[in-house]
Amino acid sequence: MLIPLLKKDFLLAKKYWVIMMIAAIVFPVFIQTKLILGEVFLSFFLSTLYIVFLLFSTVSMVEEKYRGAALLCTTPYTRKALVKSKYLFIISIFVGCYIFYTLTVLLSPIKIGMLDLYDIGRTFLIITAVFGIAIPVQYRFGYEKTRYIFFFFIFVTPFILPNIMKLLQNNESTVRDLISFPGPILGLLLVGAALVIGGISLNLSIQIYSKKDL
Amino acid sequence: MKPVLEVSGLKKHLGDFQLEDMSFSLPEGCITGFIGVNGAGKTTTIKLILGLLLPDAGNIKFFDKEIRNNEREFKNRIGIVLDEGYFYEELTLLEMKNVMAAAYSNWDNNKFNYNMERFGLQLNQKIGTLSKGMRMKYAIALAISHNADLLIMDEPTSGLDPQIRTELMDILLDYVKDGKSVFLSSHITSDLDKVADMLILIDNGRVVFREEKDNLLDQHGLVKGDKKELNDRTRSLFLTLHESEYGFSGLTKEKAIVRQQMKNVLLERPSIEDIMLGYIGR
Repeated sequence: MLIPLLKKDFLLAKKYWVIMMIAAIVFPVFIQTKLILGEVFLSFFLSTLYIVFLLFSTVSMVEEKYRGAALLCTTPYTRKALVKSKYLFIISIFVGCYIFYTLTVLLSPIKIGMLDLYDIGRTFLIITAVFGIAIPVQYRFGYEKTRYIFFFFIFVTPFILPNIMKLLQNNESTVRDLISFPGPILGLLLVGAALVIGGISLNLSIQIYSKKDL
Repeated sequence: MKPVLEVSGLKKHLGDFQLEDMSFSLPEGCITGFIGVNGAGKTTTIKLILGLLLPDAGNIKFFDKEIRNNEREFKNRIGIVLDEGYFYEELTLLEMKNVMAAAYSNWDNNKFNYNMERFGLQLNQKIGTLSKGMRMKYAIALAISHNADLLIMDEPTSGLDPQIRTELMDILLDYVKDGKSVFLSSHITSDLDKVADMLILIDNGRVVFREEKDNLLDQHGLVKGDKKELNDRTRSLFLTLHESEYGFSGLTKEKAIVRQQMKNVLLERPSIEDIMLGYIGR
């Protein structure tokens, strides 16, 4: 049930396939060699966030325009399956970005750093947190309103971020304790946290969408 | 005839519009026309049946089973044609078919390919490049390729030219030959004159009548004549009456009394549109 819906989402974004594949290879190399030298995590995180955001937005825009989900809801596809497929779509892009990054590391003549489990966990957690909020909000308010809500948050981020940094500094010992875990274990913990956040978000989205008039 | 679908006590509040206690049933093996003016509640009712809108009250049974508890089975056994299409226009016909077909447990690809050929559709064409008529044919090809027992169509003929509309009506007549049923909403009643077995008229979110088409046409008469035939007693025989300086025309359900009391009038068989306007224009 989920695979055809996942394929559908990829088909809706097909005109960006090539660009995104190039981006998944070129961005990390460019960021690591030109902007932030040797920064493996940031280069993978920024390129992945960009690719997931662009593909997800493209599909959301097409869904909003043609309201194809309403037609699919008249078929044996359940609303639950439609919601699940959106999360699977995000995970698939993430996995795709990881594969392209690893292939770039192995095949590229320009040397860039290999991802470890900690880098993967951090990236997966932040992306899950961002889209774990974005998807239920989008199911509740629709694509257009969600865009405005996120523009608002991007606008207030410079005002909130210093406070968050201050909070982290005040709790430095807790943060240090966490970071003192060995990298792979911390990475797995972050992946676990991402799965919990993703699970909560998925349930919330299913509840919102099941009560929505289409 | 046993009912394919039974709707009872369906209610929905949508802004200023309210669907009130909607109850009706669809007989098996028939084309049932669902008629009413724009905004009467046809699309709302169909969306409620399909689960696109959530009802405030009421229940819907499909072959005696509550659809709310058997959603997958119900949707596996119905075919849908919606007025606005709701297709992803950037996909090709084949890509859209692949998405849809995977949902049905009894999808018949040979039947789909046969229908595509019969309707002159190309699988590699983009949906966005199809004309309205071709898009409707594609929607029908998708809707009838999984051996659905009931075809639900919302305003399928709206905006189509007469030739395509006639073709669509022939497709429906062909479809019900195998004992399958069609529920067809339309405000273009001339299409239903040709194909409908049963008619349900709704107005302002309420069912006005549910009748066999032939009974309805037999029971009613369109009366035309000179104004001197009208008096207080004869006026009361009409559901609607239009008077001009040259004469009058009106719809009656009292054909026998009209024949008795109005000797110099012309009594004609009405169209569905005459009857619809007779009931909702009162």
